[in-house]
Amino acid sequence: MPSVDQVIFWLGALVIAAPTLLVAQLGLASLLDAKLSERTINRSNQTAVVTGLCAAAAILALMLLTGSRHVAIDFGTWIEIPHFHFSIKFVFDRLSVPLAILSFLLTGTIGAFASKYMHRERGYNRFFVLYALFLLGLVVTSLADTIETLFAGWEFVGLSSALLVAFFQERPAPPKNGLWVWTIYRLSDAALLLAAVVLHHHHASGEGDFDELLSIGGFWPEGHTTLAPGYVLPVGLLLIVAAAGKSGLVPFSGWLPRAMEGPTPSSAVFYGALSIHLGAFLLLRASPILESSHWLGLTVVAIGFSTAVIASLTGSVQTDVKSALSFACLAQVGIIVVEIGLSCLLQWPWLRYVALVHILGHGCLRTLQFVRAPSLLRVYRQLEDAIGDRLPQAAGPFDRFAEPIRLWLYRFGLERGYLDSLLLSCFVHPFTRAFRWCDALERRWTDLLTGEASRESDKVQPFSGSLEDLT
Amino acid sequence: MHALAVGDRQPNESATYSPLAHLREAIERAARLLPSQGPITVFISQNTLQAFEHLPFEEAVKRGAQVFGHHSYLSEDRFRHELARGRIRHADLLEALAEDLGTGAYDAVPGVGTRLDLRMAMLQYPLRTGPAEELLWFVAETDALRKVRWEASAADRSRLIAETRHWVLRDLRGGNESSLAGAAAREIGGAPAGLLGLLDRFDESEMESWSEAQWEGLTLQMLWRVCCDGVRGIPAPDSPRAFHLRHRDLLLKATGNDTDQLVHDLLIKFCAAFLDQGLASWPLPGRDRGFFAAFRAVYRQAGGPPDGWLWGLRKELARLDAAETSPVESVRESLELLGVSPFHWEPFIADTLVALRGWGGMVRQVEVRGDRVPRPIAEGSLVEFLAVRLILDRLAVAHVASQSLGYRGTLADLRETLRDHAQFDAPGDEQRAFQMFQLAQVMRLTPSELHRLTTAQWTSLVSEIEAFAGIERQRLFHLAYERRFRTQALDAIALHARQATGRPPAPRFQVVCCLDEREESLRRHLEEVAPDVETFGTAGFFGVAMYYRGAADAHFVPLCPIVIRPQHWVTEDVAGSAETTHRRRARTRRVLGTASHRFHLGSRGFAWGALLTGAVGVLASIPLVARILFPRLSARIARRFEGLVQAPEQTALHLGRRDEQPGPENGGLGFSPDEMTSAAERLLRDIGLTSGLSRLVLLIGHGSNSQNNPHNSAYMCGACGGAAGGPNARAVAQMLNDPEVRAQLAARGIAIPAETWFVGGYHDTCSDSITFADWERIPPSHRDEFSTAQRDLDAACDRNAHERCRRFMSAPLKLSFAAARKHVEERADDLAQTRPELGHASNAICLVGRRELSRGLFLDRRAFLTSYDPSQDDDESSILARTLQAVFPVCGGINLQYYFSSVDNQGFGAGTKLPHNIAALVGVMDGAASDLRTGLPWQGVEIHEPMRLLFIIETTAERMLRIMDNHAGIGQMCRNGWVQLALVHPASRAVSVFQRGQFEPYQPRDAALPRAASSVDWYRGWRDHLEFAQLGR
Repeated sequence: MPSVDQVIFWLGALVIAAPTLLVAQLGLASLLDAKLSERTINRSNQTAVVTGLCAAAAILALMLLTGSRHVAIDFGTWIEIPHFHFSIKFVFDRLSVPLAILSFLLTGTIGAFASKYMHRERGYNRFFVLYALFLLGLVVTSLADTIETLFAGWEFVGLSSALLVAFFQERPAPPKNGLWVWTIYRLSDAALLLAAVVLHHHHASGEGDFDELLSIGGFWPEGHTTLAPGYVLPVGLLLIVAAAGKSGLVPFSGWLPRAMEGPTPSSAVFYGALSIHLGAFLLLRASPILESSHWLGLTVVAIGFSTAVIASLTGSVQTDVKSALSFACLAQVGIIVVEIGLSCLLQWPWLRYVALVHILGHGCLRTLQFVRAPSLLRVYRQLEDAIGDRLPQAAGPFDRFAEPIRLWLYRFGLERGYLDSLLLSCFVHPFTRAFRWCDALERRWTDLLTGEASRESDKVQPFSGSLEDLT
Repeated sequence: MHALAVGDRQPNESATYSPLAHLREAIERAARLLPSQGPITVFISQNTLQAFEHLPFEEAVKRGAQVFGHHSYLSEDRFRHELARGRIRHADLLEALAEDLGTGAYDAVPGVGTRLDLRMAMLQYPLRTGPAEELLWFVAETDALRKVRWEASAADRSRLIAETRHWVLRDLRGGNESSLAGAAAREIGGAPAGLLGLLDRFDESEMESWSEAQWEGLTLQMLWRVCCDGVRGIPAPDSPRAFHLRHRDLLLKATGNDTDQLVHDLLIKFCAAFLDQGLASWPLPGRDRGFFAAFRAVYRQAGGPPDGWLWGLRKELARLDAAETSPVESVRESLELLGVSPFHWEPFIADTLVALRGWGGMVRQVEVRGDRVPRPIAEGSLVEFLAVRLILDRLAVAHVASQSLGYRGTLADLRETLRDHAQFDAPGDEQRAFQMFQLAQVMRLTPSELHRLTTAQWTSLVSEIEAFAGIERQRLFHLAYERRFRTQALDAIALHARQATGRPPAPRFQVVCCLDEREESLRRHLEEVAPDVETFGTAGFFGVAMYYRGAADAHFVPLCPIVIRPQHWVTEDVAGSAETTHRRRARTRRVLGTASHRFHLGSRGFAWGALLTGAVGVLASIPLVARILFPRLSARIARRFEGLVQAPEQTALHLGRRDEQPGPENGGLGFSPDEMTSAAERLLRDIGLTSGLSRLVLLIGHGSNSQNNPHNSAYMCGACGGAAGGPNARAVAQMLNDPEVRAQLAARGIAIPAETWFVGGYHDTCSDSITFADWERIPPSHRDEFSTAQRDLDAACDRNAHERCRRFMSAPLKLSFAAARKHVEERADDLAQTRPELGHASNAICLVGRRELSRGLFLDRRAFLTSYDPSQDDDESSILARTLQAVFPVCGGINLQYYFSSVDNQGFGAGTKLPHNIAALVGVMDGAASDLRTGLPWQGVEIHEPMRLLFIIETTAERMLRIMDNHAGIGQMCRNGWVQLALVHPASRAVSVFQRGQFEPYQPRDAALPRAASSVDWYRGWRDHLEFAQLGR
């Protein structure tokens, strides 16, 4: 008779193995150029999701039955050098299990949706490879117990999301917007990576385990951090940047509507419901760190609040259904982040449960709304018929404000808070200008030193030759 | 890609020249190029190239391709694929080519034989081309100079190599060549130095022991060299060079920066806000004041967008405000600042409008047909749109020019400067040499033969090849593609019509359907299930044009073809006994509707959103999972609940009018007895059902209902303006049952037997169900017959669903009838289904004549079937004329919309449905933001074969020619070749085809048609299009 811990271990292994095997199957088939049929893909997908979901649900049941609040599954240390070790470790606790179940449930449902929706589309295989990678990333991220495991999952999610945004690569807009999403994600990845490095550096033994860093005096949500006070602020800020990028918080909000370039199911589940919450999840996971400094708590509240305000203002003037939904989504993510920030600021761990429930509920509802987005015309018609008249439309908020202010606010919303323009003009353009300036400087110097045009690459043509040369 | 010659009128031609009036006219004419598709909720299929309908088809599509930059025919590769799989036969291609060339077919072309040979080879074998660099790379890096093209036969290849070998060993090495008069030889002073130089590279002593592969390589290298030499110095063709009017096009060429991207980013958002019919909860402030004023108000505020190119916008708008410039004056000013002379106004404006044609077209449509939207916009909005666009264009162009080129001059001079920067390519030697090189290998032309051609011969050869370039080849392929189908269709009708036996005697019941080609299979299956039934087809509004409001509807909806503005209003009233239930349920619906609208808004808001998503959000997982995993079951449960609050079934149409004048209010509702009689009479006379009425006549309108489908309206009845035609059928049935109407009809010569009863019904073409209205009013004497008829129709629906399922790749071929019915029902209820049905895809024929011409013929759901009995028509063919007046625009429009949406789905169509995003409640965009996508989505046209509709009309040539003369629209479509036309003589059944302006007799190619016991025996196990076949034993 295996012990409960052993059962949980094997179930946990199953939860991770199911999406891993799915990625391996679909990915290898694509690499080897063996085109799988739609039917095979669907079967594998169903098997993986159902297995993972059942295993995760079983773990939840067992944990509830035994009253266990924290089970860690260690897959061993893979790299060990002085001051650093890389270990793969997963944790099942009150934060990770609900999220893993939500991930399987929503991703699985959307997988079933996509299997029909994408029928006969040229990129069917590609879509499901990315889909599987996304699922794996999501499960790994939510269950991660070390920061490097979390980073791995985080990367899978980022890569698959950006490629799904650019899914329709024959038109110019999707790759362009995919690149934008990718850039923001990289920025947030870089912040997370730096945070990991700092954490490892801090710990003499070189561990990035959440167990040891964050779970002093209790399991999530009650734990406290062992991080030295000097490290709290930099690590915390880096984590906030990482979360802000991934969750589209201010000032990175502009990527979310751009992510609507992909097919409806991927927009729905990926940006509307799951990956948009990853930043909030990271903050929840790291809440013991945020709790140790008022400044961090305040920053989180401020970012969350401004995101919520800008997003709901912007959302109210959007005239296409997907942008409207994505800003509605962002407003809630902002509020969730405020909840997390307040829980840290006021030392109210129970508020973290509120945030978690908010994430779960918001994920489900928004997925349903996204999936039904193409029904909007019909829904409006039905509502009008039920009400017996045109749908009432308010004159808009801020009625009491003077007209110039109202117009200003309206334009602010229409232009999506100018966030993208600001990023471009305050960061991107100065950044590229600085490097171009360095490049020009280098060229001047080398030209001066050689006494002629020194850069040979300037003169190279894509192909040179004439008719006669070819025989 | 400019659009000159939409109207080439010169300015200043009259003494009273007014620039603004001229400008308005120019805008008006340019605007005709914009898509004529209105809001997507009322999707009307129209000719995509309506603006060019006054031109012959072939010329129009060429112009369309130039103006819009899309393909007007299927691609050559696709056609060659059709050739390879036998859809186009070589004989068709040869015939089409010979017919097209006429007497010039057998003119000699130097070196290659006749023109026909050359063109045939160019059609059969793909000729690759590309930029010079790419071709050079291709020649250098691939097997092009080592292996003869695989398309060349083994014999041709051997001959090519053997002759070259012979030539090299005998003439070139032997020194005989100097005596030959070759172009190359003459140019370099007698000796083919290039070729000899090539030979010098090889060790001649070893040549004799060379392998076949080495000789193959040498042959190809010599061929390439000869082709290169041959084409050198031939003057470039004087084809019209692409002339770019817009600054943006030149700037894009010169710098690679697209100013349209900047402008459209802003303009799309603003257009959507301006046109929004209620999607945004905060509407655009000052929308009522018009596009121009609202734009100025919003963008004149301080603290605007930080984008560099918009820095000057505020100042510019303030200046316009101060000067009180009107929109049209602003357009004129912008054109002046951009340096566009009045002569170029129209083409320049056309190009500018076409750049964002989806949104521009929608502004236009909403402006013109304000009655079709809840929030209309003011007249002149398109001019205002253009004014704003040109202001933004100016800013963007100035910004990009100064940033990337350091340009500091005026915009007016910019184009001249840019023309120096931008480079335009004419076909160069590389392209020509490569074409010749490829052709020579498949046309058995050896290097020696080519080498002997003189310069003049080369010139004529090259110009022959260039005269048959891309679009010309596509055109020929297209003609052959249509020809093959036309032969099959006309054979089928000609052979089948010979065996026609007239109307069935004493039919058990009669069914009148829409002429829609989706009803062809329903009628066929019904006739198979119940051979003693007679069916008819007519435009699905059944001659009743009305604004209709159902008992549970909020608004009146026009139910008639788009060209008609209804003069009558009809409502569905709940019977007195159910009045209380009705009121109670309406109240419940209002409460529920209001609540769900609040929820809809609240869940997107700030505080309410937090409360709702947090508290009840998780519950959304239940409908989410249920609707996606079990669509049919959850839809049934939902319908069960909806049934509790639906309007009661005991309703009647309010048809009889009390007041003199029709109107949407109480007394004005309905028709007068005279009007009813006229409508009824017209219907019966149109379909020829003036005698032999059976005891039961069922009139069945149609529509389609599917989930998650913004294009739902496109699948509805086209003759009802993209809405469901059930109420029309019900109305006309009620009229025909009216004793007063019957009495008047009798006076007008149509005696309806007293025992005849009409019932109106509705066929949902997506879930294949038929429901009947007012069945409770059927007299008891007819109840049993009605039940039997319903059973027959139900069986026909099962079979119809089964036949449809063969085209759905996700439906197994082995489904039973009942399972097929379930399958289509599930498709209708499934949120994830992008192909709930296939709409009009594969439509190709329109048959106007008696059913006996087509009864028992398997037409594969490809034929619109309009009933018309020539024996009942008068000498003026007035019935046929009025029928065709409705049928031509409806069926021709559907067919041409499908044509263009499928030849270039990304361009003329709406692209794939997957990223579609409903914008402003008027249309769909691709993804986050794009131009509005007009046309049909890829999923809807995937199986369509783009061909012009083949009209087969049962009448005589003289009558048809008279109709074409009297009705300009019909004449234009026939004479300009937008449709194909054939006639079946009412008496002799001889078929003739309209060609070169006259009807020419048609002889069937086949002696007999294939025969199958029943439809299902013929289509079983087959997914693709099927040949026509005769059914029955």
